[in-house]
Amino acid sequence: MKSRSEIFLIIAVFILLQALLSNFINFGPLFFIALYPLLILTFPAKIPLYERLLMSFLLGIGVDLTGGFILGLNAAAATFLSFVQPLLLKMAVPHAGLDKSSRPGLSELGLTRFLYFIIAGLMIHQAVVEILENFSMIFSFQSLLRYFLSIFVNTLIILLSEYGIFYKNRG
Amino acid sequence: MAAKTSVKPLLAGVLTFLILEAVALMLMANDSIVQKIRIEGAVAYLGEKLYNFRSGITYYFSLREINDQLSKENTRLLNQLSYYRTLTENRDSAFVHRDDSSGRAEKGENSDFYYIPAKIVGMSTNRLHNYLIINKGSKDGIKEDMGVISSEGVAGVIRSVSDNYAYVISLLNVSQAVSAKIVSSGAYGPLTWDGRSAQTAILSEIPQHIPVMTGDTVATSGLSTIFPPDIPLGRIRKSKIVMGSHHQIEVRLFQDFRTLHFVNVVVNRNKEELDKLTQEYEK
Repeated sequence: MKSRSEIFLIIAVFILLQALLSNFINFGPLFFIALYPLLILTFPAKIPLYERLLMSFLLGIGVDLTGGFILGLNAAAATFLSFVQPLLLKMAVPHAGLDKSSRPGLSELGLTRFLYFIIAGLMIHQAVVEILENFSMIFSFQSLLRYFLSIFVNTLIILLSEYGIFYKNRG
Repeated sequence: MAAKTSVKPLLAGVLTFLILEAVALMLMANDSIVQKIRIEGAVAYLGEKLYNFRSGITYYFSLREINDQLSKENTRLLNQLSYYRTLTENRDSAFVHRDDSSGRAEKGENSDFYYIPAKIVGMSTNRLHNYLIINKGSKDGIKEDMGVISSEGVAGVIRSVSDNYAYVISLLNVSQAVSAKIVSSGAYGPLTWDGRSAQTAILSEIPQHIPVMTGDTVATSGLSTIFPPDIPLGRIRKSKIVMGSHHQIEVRLFQDFRTLHFVNVVVNRNKEELDKLTQEYEK
């Protein structure tokens, strides 16, 4: 397991990457690019829940401050995603086959399970973002389009990032 | 021990989650006026729901107390009504017979009837001989042949008494009869239950020449020593002429015995005197 300083460094890197994506690749209301859920979803189970929640909250606040979002929007969504992450992981790996100190990434889960895990996480994350933005459970056609496009695009981005950053450099 | 170690981090996690979400929402409310309005609306909505839920629970748990209070209030009003009714009757009587200056009305004595509140602790409604058991007995002044009424009509007549309880023959008993009258005409006869429906009873022996209208109110006649007059019993549903001489009237009862919980026992102060007088002449 990585030390806390290393985790905070990774958080800072993700905030920076997310800021770059948000500020330079802007598709307006069409979809919302979010890379940071990858980090939250792959926190090892060994880190206590409250620590993961705090780190996710800081990550979300950083994204809000650097990406020009409503302050607290991504913080709330990131905290929520972090809270449900253990449940999603249990569903993706039902027989507790994963070591608690392991990072639940592509190499550990395998492509299919990792994909399910990521898509489920992104669906929840995007739903929270949409609900908090509109404060309504009724989605318009535009909202639904944005919801599904965002999940599709973010799944691709996260899959490529996981493969490029973590999968190829494992060991 | 293992349970303790697994519960504590979870509780800490849940608490942290709630605090962080609340902080995030507060930040959103401070940062965007639109979000502020929406969050305040959502908080107000949730607050209202929570208040209604809490009020519902509080109300539910206070129902027992409210019922007791209502029962006592009902008895108090019945006693008051009976007192004033007797007072009025005696005053009218005193006006006609001026020599009755030592009458009860002038002396300001109590009414002819008074009431003792009671709660039903047992009952049946699905037999031919139905009964009620009330939580008042001889210790409370209850005696045999006292009437039992509710806010919706007559419930029955006391048959036997123990120290703390009394057994009441329900109006829904084929061997029970109550002296009743049609309010509009004053014609009276016995009201009995035919054992068919818990919602209807039969008023009979009303002479054929008395006009009977559907919807007319039927009340106690006051001609027995058990019940005071004018306690509403029900409304006329339909009638037919039997044996070519009198009406047989079906009365829809006001009282639904399946929802009956509180009653009042009727105490007639003059019952013994009246019964004694009747018995003397019947000999």
